[in-house]
Amino acid sequence: MDLLYNALILPFGETYFQKALLGGSVAAIVCSVVGCLVILRRMAFLGDALSHAMIAGVAAGYLFMKLLFNTEAHAPSMLAGSLIAAIITVASIGAVARVSRLKEDTAIGIMYTGVFAAGVVLVSIFRNHIHIDLVHFIMGDVLGVADADLWVAVIAAALVLSIMVLFFRHFQLTSFDPIMAASIGMPVVLIDYVLTTCVSLVVVSAVSMVGVILVVGLLITPAATAYLLCDRLDRMMILAALFGMTSVLGGLYLCVWLDSSGGGAIMLFCTFQFLVVLTVAPRYGLLAGWLRRRRSVPQQLVEDILGFILRCDDTPVALASLTASLESGRERLATAVAAMTRDGFLRQEADGYLLTQDGKSEARRVLRAHRIWETYLSHTGTPEAELHERAHQLEHYHDRDAMNYLDDLLGHPTHDPHGAEIPENYAECRPGALCKVSVLRAGRAGLVASVDKEALATGLRIGESVTMGPRKEDGALWTLVREDGAETLLDHRTADAVTVKVLGSEAGTDL
Amino acid sequence: MSTDPVGPPAIRVEHLTVSFGPRPALLDLSVEIDRGLLVGVIGPNGAGKSTFIKAILGFVKPEVGKMFIFGVPADQSKGRLAYVPQRGAVDWDYPITVQEVAMMGRYGHIPWWRDPGPQDRKLVEEALMMVRMEELSNRQIGQLSGGQQQRVFMARALAQGADILLLDEPFAGVDAATERAILEVLERAKVSGRTLVVVHHDLGTAAEYFDRLVLIKQRLYAYGPPEKVLNPELLSEVYEGKLRIFAEIEKERCQ
Repeated sequence: MDLLYNALILPFGETYFQKALLGGSVAAIVCSVVGCLVILRRMAFLGDALSHAMIAGVAAGYLFMKLLFNTEAHAPSMLAGSLIAAIITVASIGAVARVSRLKEDTAIGIMYTGVFAAGVVLVSIFRNHIHIDLVHFIMGDVLGVADADLWVAVIAAALVLSIMVLFFRHFQLTSFDPIMAASIGMPVVLIDYVLTTCVSLVVVSAVSMVGVILVVGLLITPAATAYLLCDRLDRMMILAALFGMTSVLGGLYLCVWLDSSGGGAIMLFCTFQFLVVLTVAPRYGLLAGWLRRRRSVPQQLVEDILGFILRCDDTPVALASLTASLESGRERLATAVAAMTRDGFLRQEADGYLLTQDGKSEARRVLRAHRIWETYLSHTGTPEAELHERAHQLEHYHDRDAMNYLDDLLGHPTHDPHGAEIPENYAECRPGALCKVSVLRAGRAGLVASVDKEALATGLRIGESVTMGPRKEDGALWTLVREDGAETLLDHRTADAVTVKVLGSEAGTDL
Repeated sequence: MSTDPVGPPAIRVEHLTVSFGPRPALLDLSVEIDRGLLVGVIGPNGAGKSTFIKAILGFVKPEVGKMFIFGVPADQSKGRLAYVPQRGAVDWDYPITVQEVAMMGRYGHIPWWRDPGPQDRKLVEEALMMVRMEELSNRQIGQLSGGQQQRVFMARALAQGADILLLDEPFAGVDAATERAILEVLERAKVSGRTLVVVHHDLGTAAEYFDRLVLIKQRLYAYGPPEKVLNPELLSEVYEGKLRIFAEIEKERCQ
């Protein structure tokens, strides 16, 4: 009990701890809230750049007061200097990105290192006059936070938070849809500048606590942590503020217990917090994703089951015969079949499962892909014995465009190498659709919609109704039966050049 | 929201030229779009279709040209125009719900110091009902299907209470059934007196969907009823012959 008291309560009694907690929390809260917009606008790198550029401003502000008024470490002028440096950096980044073909991230990289370098040179030239510890700015010192820094943090936080609350809708809309924002008359560019100024302000106020290098973490990590948990911007901001505060609290304890650097401990705790949330977040977390994947039924298995039941021709298929024929565990198959019944692909009968109408068309799509792949493989000289096995793998690649391409390449075959019929291309030639006559099967009818120049010799007229007859010459010639009963023979190229609007009902889709 | 055909046209564009470099994206484009019509903007890729929409919205500044909305200069008539972005232009991971997106339509009407009131909420609800999305109003937008996503932004445009809706490729990447559903919403908006200007890329359906077509490739090639605009010579000039033209089937024969 004593141990617990010493570890948890005792530090609260110390003034330095109270001050660190107060200053740190204020800075972290406002950083996290602004950070939400920073990550949604993909400005994280800009935050990093600003914190570095500030160093130059701090040195300039210091020297300005020192050389002109001989005042040592004048806090307000150093603050003003860092703000000016931040704003110069932002403005020059915008200018470079506008006038050159360079993208913004490159412009950021160039300009902030430039400003930072100016600071380094400045400090080294006047090293005899400068009596500030730059390490203080690079590492931060949350435990030794000065009253002036505390005031800066509080004022900056109050200012930025009120801007965030008052203009929440403006920030939300310009970050989500700037075009709409402009169309209702929001000053998009001005809002952008306000946001960047806010980022500069919070960075300036947080640097004295966690240092230049870690401040970007305080800006984006709590916001990113909240992003994994929220689907609304306002809630994300509130939660981010909470995470910012817990980072400071947890970090300070860590720092007291381990006697380590304050800024480091805060960011370490913050990162740890992020990793925990990343793992356990209910929707966007790793654990949830893993569970979802485990519970989900792979598309490949669904397609295998569909294909198997389709080949059984309208006799109900029991789970046992699925287990016997498909290489998959009984439990997985049972889950898959249950999911497919729920999705409306299967219907449960007394003695097994049947395909529904949806299931049938899905199954036919897969079967069509399988047989087209088989024809294609045979066409490319794959040994007969491997055909089925390879096509069984490939049938899961049944993207519509890809299948149409292969179908055309093979001359729209009607049967696969084993003599089995390739299901018709229902997607293309459903009634009412416009399709090339080359994909029509015997018995289908349509109205001629267009005739390209390759087919002008056929004499087909626009609007004429035609019926597809059987293929001839081993499938290489299409027979079109005209209105007057005459037959016109088309080769592949000609058949591709004629488009018809398909007539008929869905009845033709039964296998 | 009047359907009265007299009075100034919904959109009048005069000598619009927009340029992002040496080659103007739009050049000397003048067109008058009457109110209450469903208008398709067609043309090849990179023809300036989206730029045309963005110029009317005031998001891109024209080098030359004037635009009038119901006879009033466009920069004085903010809020009479609503915009539905291209699906690819939206960050679908943005933490925002269906209801909040639709509420954005009201932002132009709410002063910055006030919160959305009951009237705003009612209008948003009505808009969501009009596109049949009221049941999904608390979903994050990334969890919707393509067609639903499109409808959310339609609801936002409707909630805006604008007389003119500008849509950038609403039919891109959706399946045939969804395309029908979106078209139905467009038709309903038209019946309620709104003017709709829709960037469209599928010439095959353009004639069927729209009352008027604007054919653009940097310049205005044609504006008028589909049967006039979709003439083979004009299209092969604009698309440089890279196009298969579907001749229209005589309507009686189909029935």
